[in-house]
Amino acid sequence: MSSTDTSAGTSAGTARSGARSTSYARVRGLAAANLKLQLRNRLTAAYALVLPLLPLALLLTGDRGDDTAVLFGVNYALILVMMFPAYYNLLSATVTRRDELVLKRLRTGETTDAELLASLALPGAGIGLALAVLAVPVAMALGAPFPTNPVLYLLGVAVSLVLFAALAFWTAAWTRNAEAAQMTSLPVIMLAVVGGMGELLPERAARLVELTPGAALEQVVAVGWIGRTPDLTGTVDFAQSWAQAGQPLLVMAVWTALALVLARRSMRWEPRH
Amino acid sequence: MTNPPTPSGPRGDAGPAVEVRGLRRTYGTGPRAFEAVRGVDLTVARGTVTALLGTNGAGKTSTLEVVEGLARASAGEVRVLGLDPVADRAEVRRRTGVLLQRSGFSGDLTVVETLRMWAATVSDPRGVDESLAMLDLAGRADVRVAGLSGGEQRRLDLAMTLMGRPELVFLDEPSTGLDPESRRGVWLLVEQLVAQGATVLLTTHYLEEAERLAEHVAIMDAGRIVREGTQAEIVAGHPSEIRFETLPVGTATLPDLRGARVSTDGAWTVVRTPDLQATLTALLGWAAAEDVVLPALGARTASLESVFLEVADGTAADTAADPAPTATPTDETLEVVR
Repeated sequence: MSSTDTSAGTSAGTARSGARSTSYARVRGLAAANLKLQLRNRLTAAYALVLPLLPLALLLTGDRGDDTAVLFGVNYALILVMMFPAYYNLLSATVTRRDELVLKRLRTGETTDAELLASLALPGAGIGLALAVLAVPVAMALGAPFPTNPVLYLLGVAVSLVLFAALAFWTAAWTRNAEAAQMTSLPVIMLAVVGGMGELLPERAARLVELTPGAALEQVVAVGWIGRTPDLTGTVDFAQSWAQAGQPLLVMAVWTALALVLARRSMRWEPRH
Repeated sequence: MTNPPTPSGPRGDAGPAVEVRGLRRTYGTGPRAFEAVRGVDLTVARGTVTALLGTNGAGKTSTLEVVEGLARASAGEVRVLGLDPVADRAEVRRRTGVLLQRSGFSGDLTVVETLRMWAATVSDPRGVDESLAMLDLAGRADVRVAGLSGGEQRRLDLAMTLMGRPELVFLDEPSTGLDPESRRGVWLLVEQLVAQGATVLLTTHYLEEAERLAEHVAIMDAGRIVREGTQAEIVAGHPSEIRFETLPVGTATLPDLRGARVSTDGAWTVVRTPDLQATLTALLGWAAAEDVVLPALGARTASLESVFLEVADGTAADTAADPAPTATPTDETLEVVR
């Protein structure tokens, strides 16, 4: 380092104004940096931005406007949103930042733990929400109808994003390093995808599968977008859709509460020694 | 470095910057529990530099982490700027800066992006350009952090620590990994911090660093503070040391070196004395009279280093309990060759 100019140190530019940082500014600053990091890594960027849109190509197959194709395409796009930007990328980022002592460093400042977690989860959640919104015009361009209850559809997506973010923090607690995340993420990924396998399973197993987060999200999409009952046997309008979505929303809420408790109890900010 | 930080100065409580009483910190529970900090009392006056010295595992970082509010104490009380670092976290963090012993950065962000990110989390932050200039990083602003050397990363860490113009700064081994020039730059920065009213509590392995910077020194060993005071107070009563290569077995013994303690340590003979000049005069007079050469003769006054090394060797307690060294050879009878 060069020699120090002591006179410059007392310049007006260094005087303290007393202005305090806000929670919003802290989360925004950290989340922006986390988003930049996620997009700079080609793999996580592809996971976040490209992969979830691929299932929408399924809408090109079959008859235009076919409800089943819409449900299948949108549902799998959302499942991939939950699996990658919302869950896996967040898990990987949390474990990496923890092991590199980045989280420990950030905790020495004014940022609270809750703000730190929010800033980690926001890029994935933001991308997820943006993709969920983008899916609407894309699907409509490919022949899908406008969602019956867009608010319900976005509510289901939002709750699922919180749920999978909490699951990512919980998984991070027992994931030794970023490489191990490829294995430790499998149970949650199964929870996300198993919902679409209900038809292939015996009835009793299929009922259990309906209680998984992935199945609940699929049911909300069925009700909120294509205006069908969760079992796809009947149709619903905007007003009826709220009642029909009660059970899947409840399932999501229970999973979210459980995941938040697990994440809160198990969060680790430093690597184990 | 260019601009030194300007702390806002003490606010509110006029008491000590840091006050620690009966601090204990235990890792784990049950039979595997390990008590890293065992009843530490420490007071850091405002506007001073206090150095916490100790060997690896002495408990310095464990103590500092509790004071910083990053870990909870198992027992005892900690006040930082008159506040509880856990209960009053927001206020304490706003007024303090922390440099961890080891910390990390996201390697894919550039230096300037890292500082901008940190600035967003700090109340009334110093400008990014000012921070870059202060730690001589302006030329590296657009380099990704992963491309920085260890010393540059340490300087970036320090820039973050000082970005909020803290009135109390915790520096855990601040110059580790720095080249000698950068180390002197950090020392200058610390001196300017204090000149402008800040308080610094630092840990270090470099005794030269503590000797240069700290008015107050606390030496930790096995979770306890075993020496504390100004450098003069710590050194006072500690013997000076004369050493030379042990002479081969001969016919004469060393003279009566009044007030000194003589011992052999393998190839070396060590004379510890509270009065270096008198003992050295007596020893050299005897050597001249007896025509004895004292190979590799060296003498040094008591220093922080000698006190620290005694603590590290586990001999400090003995010395402290026996401040007036005994006379003449005690460990072995020494013989000299004419």
